Amino acid sequence: MRPDFGSLTEHVVEFSRRLRARGVLCGPAETADALRALRAVNVVDREAFRLALRTTLPHRREDLGVFDALFDAYWRTGGAPQSEQREDRAGPQALAEAASLGTPSLRRWAEEAAEGEQELPGYSPVEVLSRKDFSSFREDELDVIARLVVAIARRIATRWSRRRRRARRSHLLDMRRTLRLHLRWGGELPGLAFQRRKVRKHRVVLLCDVSGSMDVYSRFLIQFVYALQETLGRVESFVFSTSLTRVTEELRTRSLRAALDRLSQRVPNWSGGTKIGTSLRQFLDRYGGLLDGRTVVLIVSDGWDTGEVEVLRRAMQEIRSRAARVIWLNPLLGSPGYQPLTRGMQAALPYVHVFASAHNADSLRELERVLSQGRMGRPRR
Amino acid sequence: MSRPTLGDVEQILTALAQEGYIADREIATAIYLSIELHKPLLVEGAAGVGKTEIAKVMARALDTDLIRLQCYEGLDVNTALYEWNYQKQMLRIRLEEGSGRTPEEKEQTIFSEPFLLRRPLLQAITHPRAPVLLVDEIDRVDEEFEAFLLELLSDWQITIPEIGTIRAQHVPYVVLTSNRTRELSDALRRRCLYLWIDYPSFEKELAIVLRKVPGISRQLAEQIAAFLHAVRALDLQKVPGVAETLDWSAALLRLHRDHLDREAVERTLGCLFKHHEDQRVARGPWLDRVLAVIADAQRDGQSVQAALDRLERLARG
Repeated sequence: MRPDFGSLTEHVVEFSRRLRARGVLCGPAETADALRALRAVNVVDREAFRLALRTTLPHRREDLGVFDALFDAYWRTGGAPQSEQREDRAGPQALAEAASLGTPSLRRWAEEAAEGEQELPGYSPVEVLSRKDFSSFREDELDVIARLVVAIARRIATRWSRRRRRARRSHLLDMRRTLRLHLRWGGELPGLAFQRRKVRKHRVVLLCDVSGSMDVYSRFLIQFVYALQETLGRVESFVFSTSLTRVTEELRTRSLRAALDRLSQRVPNWSGGTKIGTSLRQFLDRYGGLLDGRTVVLIVSDGWDTGEVEVLRRAMQEIRSRAARVIWLNPLLGSPGYQPLTRGMQAALPYVHVFASAHNADSLRELERVLSQGRMGRPRR
Repeated sequence: MSRPTLGDVEQILTALAQEGYIADREIATAIYLSIELHKPLLVEGAAGVGKTEIAKVMARALDTDLIRLQCYEGLDVNTALYEWNYQKQMLRIRLEEGSGRTPEEKEQTIFSEPFLLRRPLLQAITHPRAPVLLVDEIDRVDEEFEAFLLELLSDWQITIPEIGTIRAQHVPYVVLTSNRTRELSDALRRRCLYLWIDYPSFEKELAIVLRKVPGISRQLAEQIAAFLHAVRALDLQKVPGVAETLDWSAALLRLHRDHLDREAVERTLGCLFKHHEDQRVARGPWLDRVLAVIADAQRDGQSVQAALDRLERLARG
């Protein structure tokens, strides 16, 4: 029996549309591929049909789950698509979810916020909020700040790469041009032509304190980490309180809410006590291989350590000796009259290249300024 | 442009099996459609699940050459595409001293095809028959190179300023692999068909061990596959892939073991666990429990699924 490609086409188009509505990267080009693929396989074989669509429509692992769920719902056994009404009731909800939480919205936030910053006038709510401590916000003010954090994370990230291009001037011979010169001068070598060496990117290792004393900041920090990881690509993220958990994979999901869900399942002792030294030691023992002369270590913590100070000091010493750069962000640094006098902070400070606050939007901007002046991108030889 | 194909999905499964590659329909479908639709195949999955192997067996099955571009950080166009052979150019300049030719003529000579060193991408484009082009670990290159590659995969032509544009005679079969150390751009993903390869199921791993480790008994092979199932449920630094399974099987066989026990596992731990911390975990009390479950299951002839479920539960404490 020849399948009816006319109505099949319509359904494949509709199916692609619904995938797209659920945030799957899948446009008309994919639909066209799917239709070509269906002509190449035996569509009466349900499994062949499924695999043809599965190979052509989604493009990333995260989307495969969405595909599988929707496939079962849409292409009921026997190939008869599910009735429209039932499906559409779920549709708008899924759409709203994707729009409010998915990565696309994070990107849009960042773009909007970045645009907004170009014209940061006095009446902007952003500026009013700039000087306010993250910990003293009302719920409804959080969104504005969230946007800013994302935008700044992005800006920091892009600055890093651009600046490196200018700062590092290692010279390489440009053989092509040298030989040309050589020829022009009849076989004598008049000089060497150089080209500028392409700059390599840094890896960033983020170690974020999520213990009880940091509670009010954690939500922003996770957002900061999430945005940074999204933007930079080469970020390894860890959170710690009394012990350390690697969260790079959890944060790699496409939506922040999903990331938070997975984090809450994975991370023990969220909002618990703090053992910074032990956590950093754990990091070195298990993940020390991540550190090399091109790694920037970013530690976000208030420095309240309830563990052995000596453990912390040794861990910091080792991190400093193995990484290119150690940055410590301390939200408390913004509080009036705060002095980094906690024993933990005292022990750690000698090993920190950049010590800055991260308690409000202004301080993040200040951080960006500090980073652009310091020779962030310069690896030690 | 017509290229040789491997036939339909069933024929591909057979062809792959002949080449010693145990595939499932998902993998065979992806290969089939990649050939039929002339689209690159992007293969993702953890290290050691057989991503690279796909390109190799494809080349053997298609009876064509495999051209491999191994990506690494800092890979540039000189190493991937072409470079001028400077030594040869300099020699020619020396030889032509006093020949009376103008610098322009000389320049034309030394910047021509005989002085070109063909790197993998240029080789793939100028190959006399459609080769399999394997771009391995594409996630290691930077965004700029990825963009360049994307352009190449769309146009199949390369412009060399001194020579001109070279168009592909035969569009290669392209396989890209990624370990997901970096997110690839959406544009590159959309250019490709997508295949995710997971760690093999118990049945698939058993089939691979039986096939790839000559002389192994079915009993030991089952124990190995079940053990690996238990191992992959652990929270490890480096989860062992199929390559490790095969190394381990060979090691056990070499030690004349016909079943798993603590001593056999401890002596061969290095084949499976490549981190000190992982080895410590594996040596712990977990090991005795896993071995007990496997021995019980085999003795009592329990259903495989029930045994696998019990093994997974062990990892969770």
